[in-house]
Amino acid sequence: MICENCQKNEAVVHLTDIVNNTKKEYRLCKECAGIHGVSIQAQIKKHKQFTLPDFYSDPDTSTGSGRGDAADQECSQCGMSYSLFRKEGKFGCSHDYQCFRSELDSLLEKIHASSQHLGRTPGRFRKQVSSRAQLTQLREELSNAISDEQYEKAAAIRDQMRNLESQR
Amino acid sequence: MNFGQSDPFVGEWLRGEGLESDLVISSRVRLARNLTDLPFGTVAGDLQRAKVADRIQDAIDKLRPGLELTTKHLEDMDLIERMVLVERHLVSRELALGSGPRVVAFDDSEGISLMGNEEDHLRIQVVKSGYRLEEAWQEMDELEKALDGELQFAFDEQYGYLTACPTNTGTGLRASVMLHLPALVITGQIEEVTRAATRMHLAVRGLFGEGTEAQGDFFQISNQRTLGVTEEKILKHISSVLPNILNYERKLRTGLLDRKRERIEDKIGRAFGILSHAKVISSQEALEHLSLVRLGVCLDLLGKLTLEQVNRMFLFTQPGHLQAKEGQELSSDERDMRRASVLGRILRENN
Repeated sequence: MICENCQKNEAVVHLTDIVNNTKKEYRLCKECAGIHGVSIQAQIKKHKQFTLPDFYSDPDTSTGSGRGDAADQECSQCGMSYSLFRKEGKFGCSHDYQCFRSELDSLLEKIHASSQHLGRTPGRFRKQVSSRAQLTQLREELSNAISDEQYEKAAAIRDQMRNLESQR
Repeated sequence: MNFGQSDPFVGEWLRGEGLESDLVISSRVRLARNLTDLPFGTVAGDLQRAKVADRIQDAIDKLRPGLELTTKHLEDMDLIERMVLVERHLVSRELALGSGPRVVAFDDSEGISLMGNEEDHLRIQVVKSGYRLEEAWQEMDELEKALDGELQFAFDEQYGYLTACPTNTGTGLRASVMLHLPALVITGQIEEVTRAATRMHLAVRGLFGEGTEAQGDFFQISNQRTLGVTEEKILKHISSVLPNILNYERKLRTGLLDRKRERIEDKIGRAFGILSHAKVISSQEALEHLSLVRLGVCLDLLGKLTLEQVNRMFLFTQPGHLQAKEGQELSSDERDMRRASVLGRILRENN
């Protein structure tokens, strides 16, 4: 059976959704079921693009009972609260992203199917990012050297890593 | 922008040139950027907005002499002038209708535009006529790098560029193509294309982008996702989907000519007749007939009329342009009369 959402992949998930005592069933591929979660019903029903209110009207939270930790948190820079952000759909300043971090990953996942930036980087971050990438690579080499019992090589890699870390 | 002339300058995106220009009117890339230490446009007060405008102006000044830009402060302009900027796609409706200090800078070809104090502090856009997304991106790439040297853009290692709306977070890139798809509309296939595009995470919008309905067979297709993908991948994704839509439209056009030639010639001929001889015409009616006339030009059914001339008619019959040419506000009835006379003149001159 083909996924009802993307019409491409094989459906492996059987989703049952009960709204106002009406039961709806969807057969979805793993990707669509994982990515879209609660919004999938809205998309199938309306056959149109996701809209922000769809994302914000999370059935778990719209009833008003017990929001997450960030619910009453206010940004110290602009005064934006998480609940106001959810209502308006717009951040007040770049610091909000720090402030609401605990809730943002899932929101961004719903919109973009990802919460990790992969694009370009401002000049002032480039050195930092490249040394981080270098460190990740060295860590892998170190673990390989240890498992191959090449302890001299491992020591050299460890020194190189310390050197890089002290420069950051 | 001199509207006194009978044949004023038209922006780069209306040239009717470039790859696939019969179907792809223009290609556009837009980046959203914010400064690190000031609140976003959504909550900023006028003093903070003035600071944003000043810093952006300073950065723009430093782009010289490589790039000459005309700067305009929207808070000093009347509504008609601002409408003209929207109709030329140099500013968004949001910037035109906003309040407080707002600035736009654009080059002579009107292909590059920088907006200060939209919902994001800075919106940079590059528009090219026809299907030239890659070219537009290359120009953008250089421009953004130059600005990055002058301004501290808000950035997070996990989330990327931080924007006022979470739908722009990450790359802040919206890449779009403006398409003219009359055969898909006539044959009722457009819904299917729209659904398919949506499934592939592309948004389908109207002539003036976000929040506008598709009118007169014009559709803007753009990426939905801005986070978790590189800028190059965003462009590649659109480029991989677009040929299918274009081929579909072309196939249907050929089919219409093969099987319903008289019908389609009649439709186009009537549209041409109405536009040539009407004395009063609304913008909606004009848009519908212009769309058919544009199809007629592409199918070689309308003599020597060119795509650029049709594109000009689109632009010069918009409310802002009509009123700017008269140098005064016009009532809706007066605009409908002026519109008919502009269309009649251009069509009679060129046929």
